[in-house]
Amino acid sequence: MLHQLLTKIINTGIGGTRRWLASIGLFVAVLLILLAMQLQVNYNNLLYGSSNRDSIANFLVINKVVDGNKMDNSLTSKEINQLRQQPFVQAVGELTNSRFKVSAQSPSNQVPFYTDLFFESVPNQFIDVQNKGWTWKQGDVTIPMIVPNQFLDLYNFGFAPSQNLAQLSQDMVMALPVVINVQHPGGLQTFTGRVVGFSDRISSVLVPENFLDWANKQFGTRQQANTSRVVIRTADAGDPALAVYLKNNGLKTDAEKTRFSKYRLIVDVVVKASASTGVVLLLFALLVFSLFVQLTIAATSADIQLLVSLGTSPTQLQRFLMQKFMPANLIICAVCLVTVWLVQFAAQQFLINQQLLISPMLSLYTVAAALAIILVLWLVTKATVRKYIFSVAG
Amino acid sequence: MNIQINGLVPLPLQDKLSNRPSDIWLTQTTFTSGNKIKIKAASGTGKTTLVHMLYKLRHDYVGEILIDGRLLPTIKNNQLAALRQQSLSIVFQDMRLFDQLTALENIELKRVLAQPVLYQSKVIGQMAEQLGILHILNQKAGNCSYGEQQRIAIIRALMQPFKWLIMDEPFSHLDHLNIDKAASLVATECAKRAAGLIITDLEHDAHFDYTQQYQL
Repeated sequence: MLHQLLTKIINTGIGGTRRWLASIGLFVAVLLILLAMQLQVNYNNLLYGSSNRDSIANFLVINKVVDGNKMDNSLTSKEINQLRQQPFVQAVGELTNSRFKVSAQSPSNQVPFYTDLFFESVPNQFIDVQNKGWTWKQGDVTIPMIVPNQFLDLYNFGFAPSQNLAQLSQDMVMALPVVINVQHPGGLQTFTGRVVGFSDRISSVLVPENFLDWANKQFGTRQQANTSRVVIRTADAGDPALAVYLKNNGLKTDAEKTRFSKYRLIVDVVVKASASTGVVLLLFALLVFSLFVQLTIAATSADIQLLVSLGTSPTQLQRFLMQKFMPANLIICAVCLVTVWLVQFAAQQFLINQQLLISPMLSLYTVAAALAIILVLWLVTKATVRKYIFSVAG
Repeated sequence: MNIQINGLVPLPLQDKLSNRPSDIWLTQTTFTSGNKIKIKAASGTGKTTLVHMLYKLRHDYVGEILIDGRLLPTIKNNQLAALRQQSLSIVFQDMRLFDQLTALENIELKRVLAQPVLYQSKVIGQMAEQLGILHILNQKAGNCSYGEQQRIAIIRALMQPFKWLIMDEPFSHLDHLNIDKAASLVATECAKRAAGLIITDLEHDAHFDYTQQYQL
């Protein structure tokens, strides 16, 4: 009842158009802040989340500098352990060599080719291509292989034109089986090789780890070979400590991989720009809203004075004005949260096709940020209402 | 609840009032709880000023006002609101109704201001009928005559609990018949609460059974 009567006395609908514009400003501000927060969380998940088939995270293949002075350029287990303990290294995967002779040839006479070959394997978590065909079990005659993109590029743009051969797409290569011959002391064993993917990460012909372990035991001509190179996962390929460590230990890596750190820089800039624009807009929105509160109280100061002289307490007036001003702000924040959630859901659907996994739900940090913004709005509105009510009430 | 004044004089009237005798200004006077006080004065001698000072609407005075031994200027904001909701009720000389509200809404506002409410809504109708303004309750207060507004303001003041009812020339726009009805209602309501009454007027009157009469 009191609320209804106060609503009739105190006109809170002051500054219609400007208030709408300020509401839109607040909406944009809150949206930018929440999007920045969600983007940062997604990015962190992509970078550090273990469930991701991420190619943005930084994987570096590391080997010793081959300078011709040493016979053996393999990495000892001591060196690998030392590498594992570095703060910038999140995981280390050893590449395993094939210890038997392999060759590949075309199954058809129409496209004849023959080449000597080698295999390497690495734990699956270090591979950027995940494919249903990437499995092998004992007894299978088909061996899935992952080859570097550069192989295909070399063929298409170097070899094929010079030999007057047709250029091949990735799909064509993946559809072509090749005959794999393994030579071993007991004779020759034939398998069918099938390319299941192309990798940018590791320049090697990769086969499933369990196949290579089995084949090395079965056909291997040498004892356990030393590891000649490793793959590491690092949060930041551009970390200076990493570069210094590699240099001091006579190790080297693919400099091209540092391009991932450029992506990260771009994401950082986007996140920071969005967040700081949002914060600046929020400050302006807060300023404008406190001006509206002030304007409303000033425009109805005579009525407020009479209310106070009749015994209305400043607390009653404050509660009434808060109930008038806060719901709009709460609705704006809620709409922002829903919008960010929709964007997140759409992004999740889109990124799943790029083999990037993010949660379809809002992160807790985003919800916490929204709550924090509501708290700030509440505090600023309350402080303004309080200040001007008391100044009018005398 | 006693109201005590010590050496009180409003600053704007200080020179004018210092040179003439008064029962109130520059005296030490106590209004004892439950008494009916009449303050008579000619125009321009500070009746409304005194009422506003007692109700803490004006602070431009020298001297002291104490309510139950507490200096009035020390009572602030929510405490002041509590005092006005529970202990001090007022009928302003200029009525001070919200023109945009109906007569009924003006009275309702006061009824629901202090929780828990003292009277149910139907009491408004009974009092309005008693004072002959039942028919205008749904009119905008701004459209009511002064006489009607004065009766609305009186009923409004009676909607709350109080220990003192302060009335500033409350019957100035009423005829004798209506004054008798209004005075009777006010006397009844004060008796119910065992409350005191401070009334200012220009002339001598016998509307109430006054305990003290002062010349301002």
